Amino acid sequence: MTKRGATKRDITFTVNGERKTVCAFPMERLLDVLREQLGLTGTKEGCGEGECGACSVFMDGVLVDSCLVPVLQAEGASVVTIEGLGADARARAVQDAFLEYGGAQCGICTPGMVLAAVHLLRAKSAPTMDEIREGLAGNLCRCTGYLQILEAVAAAARKSAGQG
Amino acid sequence: MRSNPAEFEMVAPADLPSALSLLTAAGERWTPIAGGTDLMVQYAAGHLHARRLMSIARLPELRRVEVLADEIQIGAGATYTDLRGNETIARELPLLAQAAGWVGCISNQNRGTIGGNIVNASPAGDSLPALLAYGAELILVSARGERRVPYGKFHTGYKKMELAEDELIRAVCVPRKFAGYLQHARKIGTRNAQAVSKIALAALARMENGAVADVRISLGSVAPVPMRLAATEGFLAGKSLDADLIAGAAKMAAGEVKPIDDIRSTARYRAAVVGNLVAEFLERLLAQPEANGTVLARWNALEAGEAAGEILACCGSRAWAREMAARRPLADETAVLAASDAVCASLRDEDWLEAFRAHPRIGEKKAEAAAPKQSAAWSAQEQSAASAADEKTKAALAEGNREYERRFGRIFIVCATGKTSAEILAILRKRLQNDAVTELRESAEEQRQIAQLRLKKWLRA
Repeated sequence: MTKRGATKRDITFTVNGERKTVCAFPMERLLDVLREQLGLTGTKEGCGEGECGACSVFMDGVLVDSCLVPVLQAEGASVVTIEGLGADARARAVQDAFLEYGGAQCGICTPGMVLAAVHLLRAKSAPTMDEIREGLAGNLCRCTGYLQILEAVAAAARKSAGQG
Repeated sequence: MRSNPAEFEMVAPADLPSALSLLTAAGERWTPIAGGTDLMVQYAAGHLHARRLMSIARLPELRRVEVLADEIQIGAGATYTDLRGNETIARELPLLAQAAGWVGCISNQNRGTIGGNIVNASPAGDSLPALLAYGAELILVSARGERRVPYGKFHTGYKKMELAEDELIRAVCVPRKFAGYLQHARKIGTRNAQAVSKIALAALARMENGAVADVRISLGSVAPVPMRLAATEGFLAGKSLDADLIAGAAKMAAGEVKPIDDIRSTARYRAAVVGNLVAEFLERLLAQPEANGTVLARWNALEAGEAAGEILACCGSRAWAREMAARRPLADETAVLAASDAVCASLRDEDWLEAFRAHPRIGEKKAEAAAPKQSAAWSAQEQSAASAADEKTKAALAEGNREYERRFGRIFIVCATGKTSAEILAILRKRLQNDAVTELRESAEEQRQIAQLRLKKWLRA
């Protein structure tokens, strides 16, 4: 295959509420731009093919795998990574519950798990266990065996409901 | 292994015409990319052959879901999440909504599109058996114009399709005529999420008097392209459903598919499970014939003209009947009654007058206009309390009716159900004091109430 010189270009989008302009090849993965250009290493690379959820971010409020997003497709979008979730009360409840229930061990899957849980709870504030399983089915964990994570999300839902 | 982004060009046209003109550019070949759930996986593995990519993820023209009178047009750029969240799709096309929930996981469903599922042309594409079973059509668009292709003729072989280099799928059109059908979908994979199917089934059928009136069975992952079980469907058609027929159909289905051995499963396993899935579907159909046999389900499935003709007995305005038929499918009695009220609110004076003419005078049997038999029978029931009147009241009613007709030029309309002739007479005398505009409005309100009562009787028959 002949090498063709795609050129880098400026691409502007919002990350965690701040407007950022990066200079990148349009087919660079959003994942790599976030980690390498913007230093947001909370977003992890796992499988690199949309199966494990370690690279989950919100793009325009929707959970996506950033390894499957060419950065040009993020132009003009609002991206939120795990670093940007800090002030969100629901995210706080999820993180606290992960600590309490042992939902995090090595930590590689945790940012994606937390984002998937928050995405689920935003749509369904009182999910059933089946809905929690479905909401987190795209996120793989090799440490916990999942039960602690599922229980943590259920607990976070109960706590948020109590506050709500 | 991983691809080098410096070797790939990518553009993101702002609208559909710009995208289509790029596809016609001489000497350049741009490959459309939407949610990237397939192409970015190839890219990650260093297997993506295309070097020029055109993002169509944000083309507003491709994302719309339009509900028309006789079909639902789903923009090719609608994501699986869009499909699952659309109430009309969930209600009328449950096979498609369910299939959208089979895809990968939530993040994949947020990005992947129905158009992408089709052009990726995998025999295991989750949405494809549903599209085949529904008899969906695709609208293909290019700078040259648009054309419609039945989905069943679109995939012509393994990874081969009826799509020119300058064409995009613009929309997927699914007919709205399956309200009376039992719909059944099943995917067999190693787990619920993130699994490519070993076998996927989408099937629907309508029963009539215990016999299979229409049956459509589609399967994925059992042939180079998704397939309809034409022989098995033909075997079932018109026969009365019982355990023997189900066993015969299951055996035939297992022999009709052409599965292969691959990393996910074996041909033998797939054929056996196809038989089991077909049996499971037919057993459900046998167990729930009432779900298919209701008046509403049957009416929902009629041709528009027939449907309007039947419901005309509930209210004699042809405009009302036509509009009711156009609002199908209606889910249940509540939906029918609400639809009638909404349609009533839009009727013109002449529509009301036409509806009034379908009623006989209070105390008489024959309407001015030729009314359907059912309408005449209902009129007799509605007026039964009034017809039990003594001779004196009857005479007073007859005189009141004549006076009303002299004054307003039409017969007196009242929702007579449950009212005695004395009550009706009192109402008649009061209404004789109305001016013409008020009286038309009050007559229309009575007619609306009559329609509500008749719709209930019709649905519960």
